Amino acid sequence: MNQVALQSEKSDLWNVDSSVLADVQNISKRHLSPEANRIDQEGYYPADIMSELGAAGAFAPHLNAYGQRFDLAISNMRAISQHCGSTGFITWCQDVCGLYMDLSENKSLVDRLPDHATGKNLGGTALSNPMKAFTGIEAMALKANKVNGGYIVSGTLPWVSHIESGHYCGAIAAVDNKDGSRSHEIMFMLDINDQVKLAKCPVFSGMEGTSTWGINISEYFVSEAQLIADPARPFIKKIRGSFILLQTGWACGVIQASIDACREVETSLGHVNQFLHNRPDELEAEFEELEQRIVALAQSPYETNKEHMLNVLDTRAQCSELSLKASQSALLHQGARGYLMKSKPQRLIREAHFVAIVTPAIKHLRWEMAKLMSET
Amino acid sequence: MKKDSLPWLQYICRACGLIYDEEEGDPDSGLAPGTRFEDIPDDWECPLCGVRKTDFELFETQEIALAPKTVSFSKQSGIVIIGAGIAGWSVIEAIRKENTHIPIALVSACNGERYHKPELSVAISRGLDGDKLIQETAEQAGRRLRVKLLTNTFAVGINPSAKQLRTTRGSIQYTQLILAQGSRAFLPEQVSAEQCWRVNDLASWSGLEKLLRQSSQRVAIIGAGMIGCELAEDLNKAGHRVTLINRDPYPLSTLIPEIASKFLTQSMDQQGIDHRANADINEIRKTDSGDSELSLKDGSSVVYDQLIVATGLITDTRLAKQAGLIFNRGIVVDSSNLQTSQKDIYALGDCISIDGVPCRFIEPIQHQARAIANSILELKQPCYQHTPPVIRLKTRTLPIVVRGLPQSNGKWITVNKNDDELVMEQHLADDVIALLRVDLSRLKKSA
Repeated sequence: MNQVALQSEKSDLWNVDSSVLADVQNISKRHLSPEANRIDQEGYYPADIMSELGAAGAFAPHLNAYGQRFDLAISNMRAISQHCGSTGFITWCQDVCGLYMDLSENKSLVDRLPDHATGKNLGGTALSNPMKAFTGIEAMALKANKVNGGYIVSGTLPWVSHIESGHYCGAIAAVDNKDGSRSHEIMFMLDINDQVKLAKCPVFSGMEGTSTWGINISEYFVSEAQLIADPARPFIKKIRGSFILLQTGWACGVIQASIDACREVETSLGHVNQFLHNRPDELEAEFEELEQRIVALAQSPYETNKEHMLNVLDTRAQCSELSLKASQSALLHQGARGYLMKSKPQRLIREAHFVAIVTPAIKHLRWEMAKLMSET
Repeated sequence: MKKDSLPWLQYICRACGLIYDEEEGDPDSGLAPGTRFEDIPDDWECPLCGVRKTDFELFETQEIALAPKTVSFSKQSGIVIIGAGIAGWSVIEAIRKENTHIPIALVSACNGERYHKPELSVAISRGLDGDKLIQETAEQAGRRLRVKLLTNTFAVGINPSAKQLRTTRGSIQYTQLILAQGSRAFLPEQVSAEQCWRVNDLASWSGLEKLLRQSSQRVAIIGAGMIGCELAEDLNKAGHRVTLINRDPYPLSTLIPEIASKFLTQSMDQQGIDHRANADINEIRKTDSGDSELSLKDGSSVVYDQLIVATGLITDTRLAKQAGLIFNRGIVVDSSNLQTSQKDIYALGDCISIDGVPCRFIEPIQHQARAIANSILELKQPCYQHTPPVIRLKTRTLPIVVRGLPQSNGKWITVNKNDDELVMEQHLADDVIALLRVDLSRLKKSA
């Protein structure tokens, strides 16, 4: 295939796929890796590195203008996450936020996309609550009322990542009828301006550098220029699979780093490590099969049929299971060294815990697979 | 030795799997408790499917050491079975008969209760309910057979190279995996799952039974295959008004010739079952009075209280595809040992196909189960020999038996026809490929 000809239809952000990934790997290794402990323990939010990664093309490949290359977007995220799980996670936030603009059919938002895709502007996603609300796990946190030229929205979200003043995030609010019954939901870009109160979160076990805040809004005006989808449900149905699938890139980075941590001590501790469960070769065999399935699913990111959704949920659930298993094994392989508070396995274990509990958590994924499979 | 002091024996019907217990007899058909099998008159019939005494064989209860409680689940890998229908439990019985200690886990989407599925299509007129059909709970069977149970658990993925099964309760390792996942009802595109009943498992049947128990109702059944015909008679006998909606010109059209099927239509007429032939479904709608109504393409319609769909079964492909198993209308298995295209993964029952033909009958399952046990435990016993099972339509008024596998291009020839029976053979080239016997003795002779 003529690579140059293919690329010419895309934006001029990069010329060759492999060079994007190589650049992302290079920045992650040279600039991100040395900051991993500072991000994890001191809560340093790597906005500068995110901009650098964005300029290299890390956050763009899955977008329509760049050829809908979900596989490359996932590979980029994996390369980042392999050096720092927190940054891997905010890469996912940045990627899905870009997805919202890309598919919004709202010119004002599509116009904002190039600066987002290249990392000049940063923004996250506040969809944990609505995703759970749509599957019946909890109630909607934000409420909206229709007014001239838009909506007035109020409510509180407990924690939203990858935001700060001047950033933005995709959010969903419920619109109720006068009698209190639900009319529909709207999805909009919540610009973090003076109207938005950011509340400090308690200290988390890990992921401190993700700039995670509580959001409190009262009578916040959402203009038509900010509307991603009205109603929101058909839009969510369309993006749900890709929203979940993209997370696998972040999880795969944590898994790869864990396997690397097992191997790192093979020459010095291999003679005793051979007695452990979940040796790096075993983990890698399982990981390879998992990654093959991810690559296959990335070819049809907007498929919504039951079989595809089950495959995505199954794959995402296995990402969590394998992250937990591999990071635990990394600590056991490194032994006392891995028990040091500042050691990599300590961080990996906390990152893996987040992979397993963030929306959709393992329990939600299993619950939802059971629900889907009960339908005949 | 006096006959009374001999141990009571049990005999199993080869066609439908019903067990005749000498100690209990069968009072409904006039056999007092304690009636020895040899003393049963030759014209006695299986109370479930109606075959004669000669189609029964001695059933040997398997001696299995009792475990004090269900084996607790550990990471230790063992044999894992997916599906707790007749196929799943049969293969567990077959393995336990030979080996009492090998770890076995059963993963089942349902609650795992043991019941005899062929009874579902004839149970309502007998006044049976869900509780009466349950032979053993999953916990009882699990304790008796030392099986770790993972009930209400769905199998979602298989990694054959790592021998790992992913479920909705986590991943487990297996040494051998046995797929007994069954099949599910196929629905016509005009009917959604919420709009109809399927009688393919105890849970869905019980839901229907509870509603039908309350009053006499109008029941529409789509599909005039074996299950549709059996249910039509069963529900009609139980006092419901039944309409049988048949896409084809006559009932059981894929199995028997028109000449034989005419007797079935006649029998339905006599019972008051409304059989609609050549009936294509148009849509489901509400009448002005709020009733549900099925409109047909010829302009007629059927108003109903309950709608049952019996238009055949299909096997889910996702799990098999995901595991890279060869699939052709069912999971393709080696017909000698029931192994799939992946090593250490076996399959049996409704979910398999042999030579491209799904085999959804009860009779072969025991033999398939034994073949899998032989292969896994490396016993030097005969291989599985696949033969077309005896097919028996469990309609009381017009018993029909088919032996062999009729083909659409075969030619039916009448061998005997009198007031009591119609016997036919199907010929293909120079071979007789199927035999049909229709028992006409109970059919009211038309004037």
